[in-house]
Amino acid sequence: MKNSGKKRILVIEDDIHIAEGLKLNLSLQGYDVMTAKDGISGLNEWKEWSPHLIVLDIMLPGIDGLSILQNIRLEDEQIPVLIISAKSEAHDRIMGLSFGVDDYLSKPFNLEEFLLRVERLLVRASWSLKEERAGTGKIFSGAYRFGDNIVDFEKSTAICRVGKVTLTEQELKLLKLFIANKGKPLSRRKLLEIGWGYTGAVTTRTVDNFIVRFRKYFEIDPKKPRYFKSLRVVGYIFDHD
Amino acid sequence: MDQSKWFYPIIVFIFSVLALAASLFLFIYWYMEVSTGLEAVVARFNLEPSVVLESRTWVVILVLSLLVGIILLGIFTIFVYNLKTYQLYRLQQNFINNFTHELKTPVTSLKLFLETLSKHELSRAEQLKYIGYMIQDVNRLSDNIGRILDLARIESKSYPGEFVESDLVAVVGIFCETNGHLFPGCEINIHNPAEKSFNYPVNVYLFEMLLMNLLTNAVKYNSSESPRIDITFDLHKQSMNLRFEDNGIGIEKTQIKKIFRKFYQVGQYKDMTAKGSGLGLHLVQNIARIHKGRVVAESKGNGKGSVFTLILPL
Repeated sequence: MKNSGKKRILVIEDDIHIAEGLKLNLSLQGYDVMTAKDGISGLNEWKEWSPHLIVLDIMLPGIDGLSILQNIRLEDEQIPVLIISAKSEAHDRIMGLSFGVDDYLSKPFNLEEFLLRVERLLVRASWSLKEERAGTGKIFSGAYRFGDNIVDFEKSTAICRVGKVTLTEQELKLLKLFIANKGKPLSRRKLLEIGWGYTGAVTTRTVDNFIVRFRKYFEIDPKKPRYFKSLRVVGYIFDHD
Repeated sequence: MDQSKWFYPIIVFIFSVLALAASLFLFIYWYMEVSTGLEAVVARFNLEPSVVLESRTWVVILVLSLLVGIILLGIFTIFVYNLKTYQLYRLQQNFINNFTHELKTPVTSLKLFLETLSKHELSRAEQLKYIGYMIQDVNRLSDNIGRILDLARIESKSYPGEFVESDLVAVVGIFCETNGHLFPGCEINIHNPAEKSFNYPVNVYLFEMLLMNLLTNAVKYNSSESPRIDITFDLHKQSMNLRFEDNGIGIEKTQIKKIFRKFYQVGQYKDMTAKGSGLGLHLVQNIARIHKGRVVAESKGNGKGSVFTLILPL
Protein backbone atom coordinates (compact mmCIF):
# COMPACT_ATOMS: atom_id res chain seq x y z
CA MET A 1 0.00 0.00 0.00
CA LYS A 2 2.88 2.35 0.69
CA ASN A 3 4.26 2.23 -2.79
CA SER A 4 1.01 2.56 -4.68
CA GLY A 5 1.99 6.10 -5.78
CA LYS A 6 -1.12 7.52 -4.18
CA LYS A 7 -0.64 10.21 -1.56
CA ARG A 8 -1.52 9.08 1.93
CA ILE A 9 -3.66 11.29 4.14
CA LEU A 10 -4.28 10.68 7.83
CA VAL A 11 -7.47 12.17 9.27
CA ILE A 12 -7.55 12.55 13.06
CA GLU A 13 -11.15 13.44 13.92
CA ASP A 14 -13.35 12.14 16.70
CA ASP A 15 -16.78 12.68 15.17
CA ILE A 16 -17.46 9.53 13.13
CA HIS A 17 -19.72 11.22 10.59
CA ILE A 18 -17.23 13.91 9.74
CA ALA A 19 -14.35 11.42 9.65
CA GLU A 20 -16.23 9.17 7.27
CA GLY A 21 -17.32 12.09 5.11
CA LEU A 22 -13.74 13.31 4.78
CA LYS A 23 -12.48 9.82 4.04
CA LEU A 24 -15.09 9.40 1.35
CA ASN A 25 -14.32 12.67 -0.37
CA LEU A 26 -10.56 12.35 -0.18
CA SER A 27 -10.72 8.79 -1.52
CA LEU A 28 -12.87 9.95 -4.40
CA GLN A 29 -10.16 12.54 -5.13
CA GLY A 30 -7.66 9.73 -5.48
CA TYR A 31 -5.93 9.72 -2.12
CA ASP A 32 -5.32 6.87 0.29
CA VAL A 33 -7.04 7.72 3.54
CA MET A 34 -6.85 6.42 7.10
CA THR A 35 -8.85 7.79 9.99
CA ALA A 36 -8.13 7.87 13.72
CA LYS A 37 -10.64 8.91 16.31
CA ASP A 38 -8.33 10.14 19.05
CA GLY A 39 -4.86 11.57 19.54
CA ILE A 40 -3.05 8.46 20.62
CA SER A 41 -4.26 6.20 17.84
CA GLY A 42 -3.56 9.10 15.50
CA LEU A 43 0.06 9.22 16.64
CA ASN A 44 0.39 5.47 16.22
CA GLU A 45 -1.01 5.61 12.70
CA TRP A 46 1.34 8.45 11.84
CA LYS A 47 4.35 6.48 13.03
CA GLU A 48 3.37 3.27 11.30
CA TRP A 49 1.84 4.56 8.12
CA SER A 50 3.93 7.69 7.33
CA PRO A 51 1.20 9.76 5.70
CA HIS A 52 2.02 12.63 3.36
CA LEU A 53 -0.47 14.93 5.04
CA ILE A 54 -2.37 15.07 8.31
CA VAL A 55 -5.85 16.52 8.80
CA LEU A 56 -6.24 17.23 12.51
CA ASP A 57 -9.14 18.28 14.70
CA ILE A 58 -8.07 20.25 17.74
CA MET A 59 -10.79 19.11 20.11
CA LEU A 60 -10.04 15.46 20.58
CA PRO A 61 -10.90 13.20 23.51
CA GLY A 62 -8.06 12.58 25.92
CA ILE A 63 -5.17 14.61 24.60
CA ASP A 64 -5.88 17.78 22.66
CA GLY A 65 -4.88 18.22 19.04
CA LEU A 66 -2.28 20.90 19.69
CA SER A 67 -0.22 18.60 21.93
CA ILE A 68 -0.39 15.96 19.22
CA LEU A 69 0.83 18.55 16.74
CA GLN A 70 3.75 19.46 18.98
CA ASN A 71 4.71 15.84 19.31
CA ILE A 72 4.68 15.36 15.56
CA ARG A 73 6.65 18.54 14.93
CA LEU A 74 9.41 17.37 17.27
CA GLU A 75 10.23 14.62 14.85
CA ASP A 76 8.94 15.91 11.55
CA GLU A 77 8.91 19.61 10.86
CA GLN A 78 7.99 19.22 7.25
CA ILE A 79 4.88 17.09 7.10
CA PRO A 80 1.95 19.34 6.16
CA VAL A 81 -0.73 19.57 8.82
CA LEU A 82 -4.16 21.06 8.24
CA ILE A 83 -6.29 21.82 11.28
CA ILE A 84 -10.08 21.76 11.19
CA SER A 85 -11.66 23.14 14.30
CA ALA A 86 -14.88 24.39 15.77
CA LYS A 87 -12.81 27.04 17.53
CA SER A 88 -12.43 29.80 15.04
CA GLU A 89 -11.43 32.86 17.01
CA ALA A 90 -8.26 34.68 16.01
CA HIS A 91 -6.43 33.62 19.13
CA ASP A 92 -7.27 29.95 18.46
CA ARG A 93 -5.87 30.28 14.96
CA ILE A 94 -2.80 32.04 16.29
CA MET A 95 -2.22 29.24 18.80
CA GLY A 96 -2.43 26.66 16.04
CA LEU A 97 -0.15 28.57 13.69
CA SER A 98 2.42 29.20 16.41
CA PHE A 99 2.67 25.47 16.99
CA GLY A 100 3.55 24.91 13.38
CA VAL A 101 0.33 24.14 11.59
CA ASP A 102 0.27 24.78 7.85
CA ASP A 103 -3.37 25.64 7.39
CA TYR A 104 -6.37 26.25 9.60
CA LEU A 105 -9.98 25.75 8.57
CA SER A 106 -12.83 26.48 10.92
CA LYS A 107 -15.93 24.34 11.10
CA PRO A 108 -18.21 24.24 9.28
CA PHE A 109 -16.00 24.43 6.24
CA ASN A 110 -16.66 24.37 2.53
CA LEU A 111 -15.85 21.01 0.95
CA GLU A 112 -14.30 22.43 -2.21
CA GLU A 113 -12.11 24.78 -0.22
CA PHE A 114 -10.96 21.90 1.96
CA LEU A 115 -10.07 19.72 -1.03
CA LEU A 116 -8.20 22.53 -2.78
CA ARG A 117 -6.18 23.37 0.31
CA VAL A 118 -5.26 19.73 0.81
CA GLU A 119 -4.10 19.49 -2.76
CA ARG A 120 -2.06 22.68 -2.50
CA LEU A 121 -0.37 21.52 0.71
CA LEU A 122 0.60 18.22 -0.90
CA VAL A 123 2.04 19.98 -3.94
CA ARG A 124 4.16 22.27 -1.78
CA ALA A 125 5.28 19.37 0.35
CA SER A 126 6.65 17.56 -2.67
CA TRP A 127 8.72 20.66 -3.56
CA SER A 128 10.15 20.72 -0.03
CA LEU A 129 11.21 17.13 -0.38
CA LYS A 130 13.37 18.14 -3.32
CA GLU A 131 14.75 21.03 -1.28
CA GLU A 132 15.61 18.73 1.57
CA ARG A 133 18.03 16.92 -0.62
CA ALA A 134 19.77 20.25 -1.06
CA GLY A 135 19.97 20.51 2.70
CA THR A 136 17.87 23.58 3.44
CA GLY A 137 14.57 24.49 4.95
CA LYS A 138 14.56 23.15 8.49
CA ILE A 139 13.98 25.31 11.55
CA PHE A 140 16.40 23.30 13.57
CA SER A 141 19.17 23.40 11.00
CA GLY A 142 22.54 24.78 11.77
CA ALA A 143 23.67 25.57 15.24
CA TYR A 144 21.63 26.75 18.18
CA ARG A 145 23.48 28.80 20.73
CA PHE A 146 22.67 29.66 24.28
CA GLY A 147 25.29 31.03 26.63
CA ASP A 148 28.55 29.29 25.78
CA ASN A 149 26.80 26.20 24.47
CA ILE A 150 26.31 25.33 20.83
CA VAL A 151 23.93 22.57 19.79
CA ASP A 152 24.16 21.12 16.29
CA PHE A 153 20.91 19.39 15.43
CA GLU A 154 22.15 18.13 12.08
CA LYS A 155 25.11 16.31 13.58
CA SER A 156 23.38 15.51 16.89
CA THR A 157 26.26 16.96 18.85
CA ALA A 158 26.75 19.77 21.31
CA ILE A 159 29.73 21.82 22.41
CA CYS A 160 29.19 22.59 26.04
CA ARG A 161 30.68 22.83 29.47
CA VAL A 162 31.99 19.28 29.50
CA GLY A 163 33.35 19.53 25.98
CA LYS A 164 31.90 17.96 22.87
CA VAL A 165 29.09 15.45 23.46
CA THR A 166 26.95 13.35 21.18
CA LEU A 167 23.29 13.72 22.01
CA THR A 168 20.87 10.82 21.92
CA GLU A 169 17.68 11.03 19.88
CA GLN A 170 15.61 11.45 23.01
CA GLU A 171 17.89 14.20 24.32
CA LEU A 172 17.59 16.02 20.99
CA LYS A 173 13.83 15.73 21.06
CA LEU A 174 13.62 17.12 24.55
CA LEU A 175 15.99 19.98 23.69
CA LYS A 176 13.89 20.86 20.66
CA LEU A 177 10.80 20.90 22.84
CA PHE A 178 12.41 23.25 25.33
CA ILE A 179 13.71 25.54 22.60
CA ALA A 180 10.34 25.66 20.86
CA ASN A 181 8.83 26.67 24.20
CA LYS A 182 11.60 29.04 25.24
CA GLY A 183 10.47 31.22 28.12
CA LYS A 184 7.29 29.20 28.66
CA PRO A 185 6.90 26.95 31.68
CA LEU A 186 6.37 23.27 30.90
CA SER A 187 4.90 20.81 33.38
CA ARG A 188 6.54 17.44 33.86
CA ARG A 189 3.42 15.80 32.55
CA LYS A 190 3.46 17.90 29.39
CA LEU A 191 7.16 17.15 28.85
CA LEU A 192 6.41 13.49 29.26
CA GLU A 193 3.45 13.51 26.94
CA ILE A 194 4.96 15.54 24.14
CA GLY A 195 8.59 14.53 24.51
CA TRP A 196 8.01 10.83 24.89
CA GLY A 197 4.85 10.59 22.82
CA TYR A 198 2.35 9.32 25.39
CA THR A 199 3.84 5.85 25.49
CA GLY A 200 2.90 5.59 29.13
CA ALA A 201 5.96 3.48 29.80
CA VAL A 202 7.94 6.39 31.22
CA THR A 203 7.54 8.25 34.50
CA THR A 204 8.18 11.85 35.43
CA ARG A 205 11.31 10.66 37.24
CA THR A 206 12.84 10.11 33.80
CA VAL A 207 12.14 13.75 32.91
CA ASP A 208 13.95 14.81 36.08
CA ASN A 209 16.94 12.63 35.16
CA PHE A 210 17.18 14.23 31.75
CA ILE A 211 17.11 17.69 33.32
CA VAL A 212 19.96 16.67 35.62
CA ARG A 213 21.87 15.55 32.54
CA PHE A 214 21.18 18.78 30.67
CA ARG A 215 22.31 20.82 33.62
CA LYS A 216 25.48 18.79 33.80
CA TYR A 217 26.16 19.49 30.14
CA PHE A 218 25.01 23.05 29.69
CA GLU A 219 25.04 24.89 33.00
CA ILE A 220 28.10 26.69 34.35
CA ASP A 221 26.93 25.69 37.82
CA PRO A 222 24.48 22.77 37.70
CA LYS A 223 23.38 23.58 41.24
CA LYS A 224 22.38 27.10 40.21
CA PRO A 225 20.83 26.58 36.81
CA ARG A 226 20.52 29.58 34.51
CA TYR A 227 19.01 27.95 31.48
CA PHE A 228 17.07 24.91 32.70
CA LYS A 229 15.29 26.27 35.73
CA SER A 230 12.81 24.52 38.01
CA LEU A 231 9.51 26.16 38.72
CA ARG A 232 7.97 24.96 41.96
CA VAL A 233 4.72 23.08 41.47
CA VAL A 234 4.68 23.94 37.75
CA GLY A 235 7.67 22.12 36.23
CA TYR A 236 10.61 23.41 34.24
CA ILE A 237 11.40 26.43 32.13
CA PHE A 238 14.16 26.97 29.58
CA ASP A 239 15.26 30.50 28.94
CA HIS A 240 18.24 32.54 27.91
CA ASP A 241 18.97 35.98 26.46
CA MET B 1 -10.96 37.28 33.16
CA ASP B 2 -7.80 35.28 33.03
CA GLN B 3 -5.71 33.58 35.63
CA SER B 4 -3.64 36.63 36.55
CA LYS B 5 -6.66 38.80 37.29
CA TRP B 6 -7.87 36.15 39.69
CA PHE B 7 -5.28 37.22 42.23
CA TYR B 8 -6.56 40.77 42.53
CA PRO B 9 -9.71 40.10 44.60
CA ILE B 10 -7.72 38.07 47.14
CA ILE B 11 -5.02 40.73 47.40
CA VAL B 12 -7.61 43.49 47.73
CA PHE B 13 -9.44 41.51 50.37
CA ILE B 14 -6.36 40.76 52.46
CA PHE B 15 -5.12 44.31 52.12
CA SER B 16 -8.48 45.74 53.21
CA VAL B 17 -8.67 43.46 56.22
CA LEU B 18 -5.15 44.39 57.26
CA ALA B 19 -5.86 48.08 56.80
CA LEU B 20 -9.03 47.73 58.84
CA ALA B 21 -7.29 45.84 61.65
CA ALA B 22 -4.48 48.38 61.65
CA SER B 23 -6.88 51.31 61.82
CA LEU B 24 -8.82 49.72 64.69
CA PHE B 25 -5.64 49.15 66.61
CA LEU B 26 -4.39 52.68 65.88
CA PHE B 27 -7.69 54.32 66.83
CA ILE B 28 -7.69 52.57 70.16
CA TYR B 29 -4.04 53.35 70.74
CA TRP B 30 -4.34 57.03 69.89
CA TYR B 31 -7.52 57.28 71.89
CA MET B 32 -5.72 55.92 74.92
CA GLU B 33 -2.88 58.37 74.34
CA VAL B 34 -5.23 61.31 74.04
CA SER B 35 -7.13 60.08 77.06
CA THR B 36 -4.06 59.86 79.26
CA GLY B 37 -2.90 63.20 77.88
CA LEU B 38 -6.19 64.81 78.81
CA GLU B 39 -6.10 63.27 82.25
CA ALA B 40 -2.64 64.74 82.74
CA VAL B 41 -3.91 68.17 81.71
CA VAL B 42 -6.87 67.85 84.05
CA ALA B 43 -4.58 66.88 86.94
CA ARG B 44 -2.14 69.66 86.13
CA PHE B 45 -4.65 72.44 85.97
CA ASN B 46 -6.79 70.98 88.66
CA LEU B 47 -9.87 71.09 86.53
CA GLU B 48 -13.06 69.38 87.40
CA PRO B 49 -12.90 66.11 85.66
CA SER B 50 -16.57 66.40 84.81
CA VAL B 51 -15.94 69.68 82.93
CA VAL B 52 -13.80 67.88 80.44
CA LEU B 53 -15.79 65.33 78.55
CA GLU B 54 -15.96 62.21 80.56
CA SER B 55 -15.60 59.36 78.34
CA ARG B 56 -15.78 55.77 79.06
CA THR B 57 -13.01 53.94 77.37
CA TRP B 58 -14.78 50.67 77.06
CA VAL B 59 -17.83 52.19 75.39
CA VAL B 60 -15.64 53.72 72.74
CA ILE B 61 -13.76 50.51 72.11
CA LEU B 62 -17.00 48.57 71.90
CA VAL B 63 -18.60 50.94 69.43
CA LEU B 64 -15.45 51.07 67.30
CA SER B 65 -15.09 47.30 67.25
CA LEU B 66 -18.73 46.88 66.33
CA LEU B 67 -18.43 49.27 63.41
CA VAL B 68 -15.23 47.64 62.25
CA GLY B 69 -16.90 44.27 62.54
CA ILE B 70 -19.72 45.41 60.31
CA ILE B 71 -17.29 46.79 57.72
CA LEU B 72 -15.37 43.52 57.82
CA LEU B 73 -18.54 41.54 57.25
CA GLY B 74 -19.37 43.79 54.32
CA ILE B 75 -15.97 43.30 52.72
CA PHE B 76 -16.15 39.57 53.23
CA THR B 77 -19.60 39.35 51.67
CA ILE B 78 -18.46 41.25 48.61
CA PHE B 79 -15.41 39.03 48.34
CA VAL B 80 -17.46 35.84 48.47
CA TYR B 81 -19.87 37.25 45.91
CA ASN B 82 -16.95 38.10 43.63
CA LEU B 83 -15.68 34.54 43.97
CA LYS B 84 -19.05 33.07 43.06
CA THR B 85 -19.34 35.37 40.07
CA TYR B 86 -15.95 34.26 38.84
CA GLN B 87 -16.86 30.61 39.33
CA LEU B 88 -20.04 31.08 37.35
CA TYR B 89 -18.11 32.86 34.62
CA ARG B 90 -15.67 29.99 34.38
CA LEU B 91 -18.47 27.45 34.23
CA GLN B 92 -20.13 29.52 31.57
CA GLN B 93 -16.95 29.60 29.50
CA ASN B 94 -16.58 25.86 29.86
CA PHE B 95 -20.18 25.43 28.79
CA ILE B 96 -19.94 27.81 25.87
CA ASN B 97 -16.83 26.08 24.57
CA ASN B 98 -18.35 22.66 24.87
CA PHE B 99 -21.65 23.76 23.44
CA THR B 100 -20.02 25.49 20.51
CA HIS B 101 -18.48 22.17 19.64
CA GLU B 102 -21.78 20.34 20.24
CA LEU B 103 -23.60 22.62 17.85
CA LYS B 104 -20.92 23.08 15.21
CA THR B 105 -20.13 19.39 14.83
CA PRO B 106 -23.50 18.22 13.50
CA VAL B 107 -23.70 21.32 11.30
CA THR B 108 -20.27 20.53 9.86
CA SER B 109 -21.32 16.97 9.18
CA LEU B 110 -24.53 18.07 7.49
CA LYS B 111 -22.75 20.58 5.30
CA LEU B 112 -20.08 18.05 4.39
CA PHE B 113 -22.52 15.37 3.29
CA LEU B 114 -24.81 17.76 1.46
CA GLU B 115 -21.86 19.11 -0.53
CA THR B 116 -20.68 15.56 -1.14
CA LEU B 117 -24.04 14.41 -2.46
CA SER B 118 -24.22 17.43 -4.68
CA LYS B 119 -20.76 16.84 -6.08
CA HIS B 120 -20.70 13.07 -6.63
CA GLU B 121 -22.97 10.50 -8.17
CA LEU B 122 -23.29 7.86 -5.51
CA SER B 123 -25.15 4.58 -5.50
CA ARG B 124 -28.59 4.62 -3.94
CA ALA B 125 -27.33 2.45 -1.07
CA GLU B 126 -24.52 4.90 -0.27
CA GLN B 127 -26.87 7.85 -0.60
CA LEU B 128 -29.23 6.28 1.89
CA LYS B 129 -26.41 5.62 4.32
CA TYR B 130 -25.26 9.22 4.29
CA ILE B 131 -28.77 10.57 4.41
CA GLY B 132 -29.20 8.46 7.52
CA TYR B 133 -26.18 10.17 9.09
CA MET B 134 -27.61 13.54 8.23
CA ILE B 135 -30.90 12.72 9.88
CA GLN B 136 -29.04 11.70 13.01
CA ASP B 137 -27.17 14.99 12.98
CA VAL B 138 -30.32 17.02 12.53
CA ASN B 139 -31.84 15.23 15.50
CA ARG B 140 -28.76 15.91 17.56
CA LEU B 141 -28.92 19.59 16.69
CA SER B 142 -32.60 19.67 17.38
CA ASP B 143 -32.13 18.17 20.84
CA ASN B 144 -29.48 20.68 21.76
CA ILE B 145 -31.54 23.59 20.53
CA GLY B 146 -34.53 22.23 22.39
CA ARG B 147 -32.63 22.08 25.64
CA ILE B 148 -31.38 25.63 25.38
CA LEU B 149 -34.84 26.87 24.58
CA ASP B 150 -36.31 24.94 27.50
CA LEU B 151 -33.84 26.64 29.75
CA ALA B 152 -34.65 30.05 28.34
CA ARG B 153 -38.35 29.45 28.80
CA ILE B 154 -38.05 28.31 32.36
CA GLU B 155 -35.79 31.17 33.30
CA SER B 156 -38.12 33.74 31.84
CA LYS B 157 -41.09 31.93 33.35
CA SER B 158 -42.97 31.74 30.08
CA TYR B 159 -43.96 28.11 29.85
CA PRO B 160 -47.28 26.80 28.63
CA GLY B 161 -49.76 24.75 30.57
CA GLU B 162 -51.42 25.13 33.89
CA PHE B 163 -51.11 23.35 37.19
CA VAL B 164 -53.69 20.60 37.19
CA GLU B 165 -54.22 18.02 39.90
CA SER B 166 -53.14 14.82 38.18
CA ASP B 167 -52.27 11.27 39.04
CA LEU B 168 -48.49 11.14 38.75
CA VAL B 169 -48.47 7.39 38.28
CA ALA B 170 -50.61 7.83 35.17
CA VAL B 171 -48.52 10.75 33.91
CA VAL B 172 -45.28 8.81 34.24
CA GLY B 173 -46.86 5.72 32.74
CA ILE B 174 -48.14 7.53 29.66
CA PHE B 175 -44.81 9.32 29.22
CA CYS B 176 -42.81 6.10 29.24
CA GLU B 177 -45.18 4.48 26.77
CA THR B 178 -45.16 7.37 24.30
CA ASN B 179 -41.45 8.00 24.55
CA GLY B 180 -40.07 4.51 25.02
CA HIS B 181 -38.60 4.56 21.52
CA LEU B 182 -36.26 7.36 22.55
CA PHE B 183 -34.52 5.05 24.99
CA PRO B 184 -33.83 1.97 22.92
CA GLY B 185 -32.20 -0.94 24.64
CA CYS B 186 -33.05 0.43 28.06
CA GLU B 187 -35.40 -1.35 30.40
CA ILE B 188 -37.70 1.07 32.22
CA ASN B 189 -39.79 -0.28 35.08
CA ILE B 190 -42.39 1.58 37.12
CA HIS B 191 -43.05 0.35 40.63
CA ASN B 192 -45.99 1.42 42.70
CA PRO B 193 -45.91 -0.75 45.81
CA ALA B 194 -48.67 1.19 47.54
CA GLU B 195 -50.90 0.60 44.54
CA LYS B 196 -52.48 3.97 45.10
CA SER B 197 -52.77 6.93 42.82
CA PHE B 198 -50.49 9.83 43.54
CA ASN B 199 -52.38 13.06 43.05
CA TYR B 200 -50.46 16.28 42.87
CA PRO B 201 -50.89 19.61 41.10
CA VAL B 202 -48.48 19.46 38.19
CA ASN B 203 -47.76 21.31 35.01
CA VAL B 204 -47.66 18.37 32.64
CA TYR B 205 -45.47 20.17 30.07
CA LEU B 206 -42.80 20.89 32.68
CA PHE B 207 -43.13 17.55 34.41
CA GLU B 208 -42.55 15.71 31.15
CA MET B 209 -39.46 17.87 30.59
CA LEU B 210 -38.19 16.75 33.99
CA LEU B 211 -38.84 13.11 33.16
CA MET B 212 -37.19 13.46 29.76
CA ASN B 213 -34.04 14.96 31.26
CA LEU B 214 -33.74 12.41 34.06
CA LEU B 215 -34.29 9.47 31.74
CA THR B 216 -32.00 10.82 29.03
CA ASN B 217 -29.26 11.24 31.62
CA ALA B 218 -29.81 7.74 32.97
CA VAL B 219 -29.33 6.33 29.49
CA LYS B 220 -26.47 8.64 28.50
CA TYR B 221 -24.34 8.09 31.59
CA ASN B 222 -24.68 4.35 31.40
CA SER B 223 -22.11 1.96 30.05
CA SER B 224 -23.68 -1.32 31.09
CA GLU B 225 -24.72 -4.04 28.65
CA SER B 226 -28.30 -3.92 29.85
CA PRO B 227 -29.15 -0.42 31.00
CA ARG B 228 -32.02 -0.30 33.43
CA ILE B 229 -34.07 2.39 35.14
CA ASP B 230 -36.46 1.71 38.03
CA ILE B 231 -39.03 4.35 38.85
CA THR B 232 -40.60 3.87 42.27
CA PHE B 233 -43.41 5.77 43.91
CA ASP B 234 -42.86 6.19 47.64
CA LEU B 235 -45.47 7.75 49.86
CA HIS B 236 -44.20 9.25 53.10
CA LYS B 237 -45.98 11.15 55.83
CA GLN B 238 -44.96 14.57 54.68
CA SER B 239 -43.93 14.00 51.11
CA MET B 240 -44.35 12.03 47.95
CA ASN B 241 -41.08 10.62 46.71
CA LEU B 242 -40.37 9.56 43.15
CA ARG B 243 -37.18 7.51 42.90
CA PHE B 244 -35.27 7.12 39.65
CA GLU B 245 -32.72 4.40 40.14
CA ASP B 246 -30.31 3.36 37.39
CA ASN B 247 -27.36 1.02 36.91
CA GLY B 248 -25.23 3.66 35.23
CA ILE B 249 -21.76 5.01 35.83
CA GLY B 250 -22.70 6.57 39.14
CA ILE B 251 -21.58 9.88 40.64
CA GLU B 252 -18.54 10.64 42.76
CA LYS B 253 -19.15 12.04 46.23
CA THR B 254 -17.43 15.31 45.40
CA GLN B 255 -19.71 15.88 42.43
CA ILE B 256 -23.06 15.06 44.00
CA LYS B 257 -23.99 18.59 44.97
CA LYS B 258 -22.31 20.23 42.00
CA ILE B 259 -24.14 18.42 39.21
CA PHE B 260 -27.27 20.51 39.76
CA ARG B 261 -25.40 23.73 39.15
CA LYS B 262 -26.10 25.61 35.97
CA PHE B 263 -23.58 24.80 33.22
CA TYR B 264 -21.85 22.24 35.43
CA GLN B 265 -20.56 19.28 33.48
CA VAL B 266 -18.71 16.36 34.95
CA GLY B 267 -15.48 16.36 33.03
CA GLN B 268 -13.87 19.13 31.07
CA TYR B 269 -14.42 20.44 27.59
CA LYS B 270 -10.65 20.42 27.14
CA ASP B 271 -10.33 16.68 27.21
CA MET B 272 -13.77 16.10 25.78
CA THR B 273 -15.06 14.09 28.73
CA ALA B 274 -17.91 16.53 29.17
CA LYS B 275 -20.85 14.74 27.64
CA GLY B 276 -23.92 16.68 28.52
CA SER B 277 -24.93 20.27 28.04
CA GLY B 278 -24.55 21.16 31.70
CA LEU B 279 -28.17 22.23 31.70
CA GLY B 280 -30.24 19.08 32.22
CA LEU B 281 -30.11 18.78 35.98
CA HIS B 282 -30.30 22.51 36.46
CA LEU B 283 -33.55 22.38 34.52
CA VAL B 284 -34.74 19.43 36.58
CA GLN B 285 -34.08 21.22 39.86
CA ASN B 286 -35.76 24.35 38.58
CA ILE B 287 -38.86 22.43 37.58
CA ALA B 288 -38.94 20.67 40.95
CA ARG B 289 -38.76 24.02 42.65
CA ILE B 290 -41.59 25.40 40.54
CA HIS B 291 -43.62 22.46 41.84
CA LYS B 292 -42.57 23.37 45.38
CA GLY B 293 -40.38 20.28 45.62
CA ARG B 294 -36.74 19.39 45.14
CA VAL B 295 -34.49 16.73 43.67
CA VAL B 296 -31.67 14.98 45.48
CA ALA B 297 -29.01 12.72 44.03
CA GLU B 298 -27.42 9.73 45.68
CA SER B 299 -24.79 7.34 44.48
CA LYS B 300 -22.59 4.68 46.00
CA GLY B 301 -19.75 5.87 43.79
CA ASN B 302 -18.21 5.39 40.39
CA GLY B 303 -19.70 2.50 38.48
CA LYS B 304 -22.34 1.85 41.10
CA GLY B 305 -25.36 3.55 39.60
CA SER B 306 -27.28 6.54 40.86
CA VAL B 307 -30.61 7.37 42.45
CA PHE B 308 -32.37 10.65 41.77
CA THR B 309 -35.29 11.31 44.11
CA LEU B 310 -37.96 13.90 43.39
CA ILE B 311 -39.45 15.00 46.71
CA LEU B 312 -42.86 16.66 46.54
CA PRO B 313 -44.25 17.99 49.80
CA LEU B 314 -47.81 17.12 50.76
